[in-house]
Amino acid sequence: MGIIDKFGAPKPVTWLLNWSRKYSLWFFQFGLACCAIEMMAASGPRYDFMRFGIIPLPASPRQADLMVVAGTVTDKMAPAVKRLYDQMPDPKYVISMGSCSNCGGPYWDSYSVTKGVDQIIPVDVYVPGCPPRPEALMEGIILLQDKIQGEDVKEKWTERDHEPV
Amino acid sequence: MQTLDPQAMAHISEVSVSVELQTADMTLNIGPQHPSTHGVLRLVAKVDGERVSSVEPVIGYMHRGYEKLAEVRTYPQITALVNRIDWVSGFANEIPFVVAAERLMGLEVPERAQYIRLILTEMARISSHLIFMSSYPLEIGAATPLMHALRERERVLDLLESVTGGRFHPNFNRLGGVKPAAGAGAQTKKVVQDLPAGFLADTRAAMGKVRDICDDLEGLVTGNEIFQARTIGVGIMPADKAAAFGVSGPNLRASGPDYDLRKHADYLPYDRFDFEVPIGRNGDCFDRYRVRLEEIRQAASIIVQAVDSIPSGPLQAKVPKIIKVPEGEVYVRAENPKGEMGYHLVSDGGRMPYRLKVRSASFSNLSVLPWLLEGQLVPDLIAILGSLDFVLGDVDR
Amino acid sequence: MTTNQSEPGAGEGEDEVAVDSPTEDAIEEAGGAAEAAEGTEPTGPGEPDPIAELAQRFAEIVGAESWSADHGLAKIKVTNADWVSAVSTAHQNGMPFLSFLSAIDWSQTVAVGDPLSDENVEERYELIIRLSSLASDDAITLSTDLSKYHPSIDSLVPVLPGADWHEREAAEMFGIEFRGHPNPKKLYLPDAFEGYPLRKSFPLLSREVKPWPGMVDVEGMPESESGPSTENPEATDGAGVEEEGAGDADA
Repeated sequence: MGIIDKFGAPKPVTWLLNWSRKYSLWFFQFGLACCAIEMMAASGPRYDFMRFGIIPLPASPRQADLMVVAGTVTDKMAPAVKRLYDQMPDPKYVISMGSCSNCGGPYWDSYSVTKGVDQIIPVDVYVPGCPPRPEALMEGIILLQDKIQGEDVKEKWTERDHEPV
Repeated sequence: MQTLDPQAMAHISEVSVSVELQTADMTLNIGPQHPSTHGVLRLVAKVDGERVSSVEPVIGYMHRGYEKLAEVRTYPQITALVNRIDWVSGFANEIPFVVAAERLMGLEVPERAQYIRLILTEMARISSHLIFMSSYPLEIGAATPLMHALRERERVLDLLESVTGGRFHPNFNRLGGVKPAAGAGAQTKKVVQDLPAGFLADTRAAMGKVRDICDDLEGLVTGNEIFQARTIGVGIMPADKAAAFGVSGPNLRASGPDYDLRKHADYLPYDRFDFEVPIGRNGDCFDRYRVRLEEIRQAASIIVQAVDSIPSGPLQAKVPKIIKVPEGEVYVRAENPKGEMGYHLVSDGGRMPYRLKVRSASFSNLSVLPWLLEGQLVPDLIAILGSLDFVLGDVDR
Repeated sequence: MTTNQSEPGAGEGEDEVAVDSPTEDAIEEAGGAAEAAEGTEPTGPGEPDPIAELAQRFAEIVGAESWSADHGLAKIKVTNADWVSAVSTAHQNGMPFLSFLSAIDWSQTVAVGDPLSDENVEERYELIIRLSSLASDDAITLSTDLSKYHPSIDSLVPVLPGADWHEREAAEMFGIEFRGHPNPKKLYLPDAFEGYPLRKSFPLLSREVKPWPGMVDVEGMPESESGPSTENPEATDGAGVEEEGAGDADA
């Protein structure tokens, strides 16, 4: 990919790459709390987000493109969240689902809750709600797909090079 | 084994079968993020070959500090907090708390409100048990029931949502009754809608569907040979052990005791309905599954009876705007889908509780785990873990 | 006192609050009435109260200092020295089910929340355990007082293995030492956590940085003329179709 690093990709190539990436997001279900149940419902028969090309299968973060942090992140859990995020291969995306992982939510004054998962990992899309309905999660996913479509491939690749290992 | 001399190989194999194979103990770490631990439970298991020699559950990854937060929130605000403890049966969590506060305040809850509470509590039970019915077979290896059970669960959630506006965190209880319907306040003062139009008929229809899914599950799961082989005789919990660890709910009843707080504690008018408390004989994983399946049927039957006999009347007792709960100490327990849920409420007469101890069912249900898993086979570990049907929020609080 | 409603004084006082507009006085009155009702109670039951009988019976069995039966809570107080034997006696005498074990921090100074309204309450940790019967509705709460200075008591785990996690929780939340506990590690909190969160002296730092905006809701609310009518016009079958207008009022 040295050429892309230097000169960037031509527009049609960028479009094609992004288009194919956005419809095959392998999705690592980081179910933590209440939101995990809604995430489960979203993958269930009524909402079925597999039709957006979201594949909720990888048992390991090492195969995943997208991590949905669904639920309260506690201070005890935070190192594990960070570690699993680090295990994901680039390019990787994070959706923060629910008030708890956005900002602490109802536990904003708790002594044991991390006030927002964005304190430990970068977040691409925030889905508000307590818990967000499956439809809200699906909108979050569509927003993320839009974001991926608009990405500059060159930027994404060089970003990866600068990230700490 | 550098050489491949057949004679020597034969000799070695004879030797190896005649002595017990010695392996060093291995420490196996499961979790905190693992698909079969229902969230963020971590198990540190010492395994000797295929046997688990000891297990230490590490909990606290979902500890959110409810008991402290309740001390800095007013009573009406706490209902929003407590229904997130056991997040698959949110409505049921609110009940013992509001009943505790009402008992201290001496409030008499109107009949209709009590019936609505009861109907929604049983719906929460069905939705919680359907989650179990979908996830437990999946852990054993059957993926089909997941889709069927989740589909039916959505019907129950639709009903809950039509009344409360929330799918599973309704925050619908008020001290002294239940919430008047959304939007009915300032603009249309005279008319207050309580249950949405057609709710009772929809409920009857949905309960028929719930019974159907129970029959489907009997065929899909109960009679399944693999499922039976994985669960019958696995993870046997004797009743006295269960009681000493505080194991309650379906887990306790699967071991034999006919102990259901719907019969034993006075918090909702369950005595007016005709229902059975299913119990098991052996206390194994299969019995725990069977008890829950039967409880879904009983809950559906209670709901239909309640819908048929729901009285009319007000939804709320008159309460002051600023709620202060008189000084006192009370413990109210309720039969939640997971077991005994109780609140030990200490009030000193203020707007906020002085102390709110949350007795959650899953905490005690899980505390028996080190004892239960000792000496079991590694593949049974997940089967036993899943059969306890715990929710990490209910464990860690 | 389960039979609270039968107490004429308490009942009237609370009814008054219910009907009146919620002035501070009325609420005070209600509190006062309830207190008065409680004050008459603890020495002995006037009428046959099953909870009081239960509390008395178990107080005799375990050799208690005192007992009370307010609000349906049979509470039996024992001394520190009797704690383990009392729990184990009750456990073996028809109370096999361990409901929970926890503590209450009775403290005059608080870091967050409301302080105690009663200044005569003795500062202490109160350790409580609740045991219930599996055959009947009976359940009792045993309690013992621990000193504020150095709370320490014998562990129940040797006689009641189920108390293991409960004691670990109480230890990390209140700083109570359980002597002889086989595994005195933290249960919930990370090992590096300092302090005992459920002590009343434990502050919530987020609140000190930013006071809670939610408190606005309950302070200085304007007196509205009356709350929404809670009369339900529709009889048995939910709300009829004619009420559909009410449903979209929030739109």
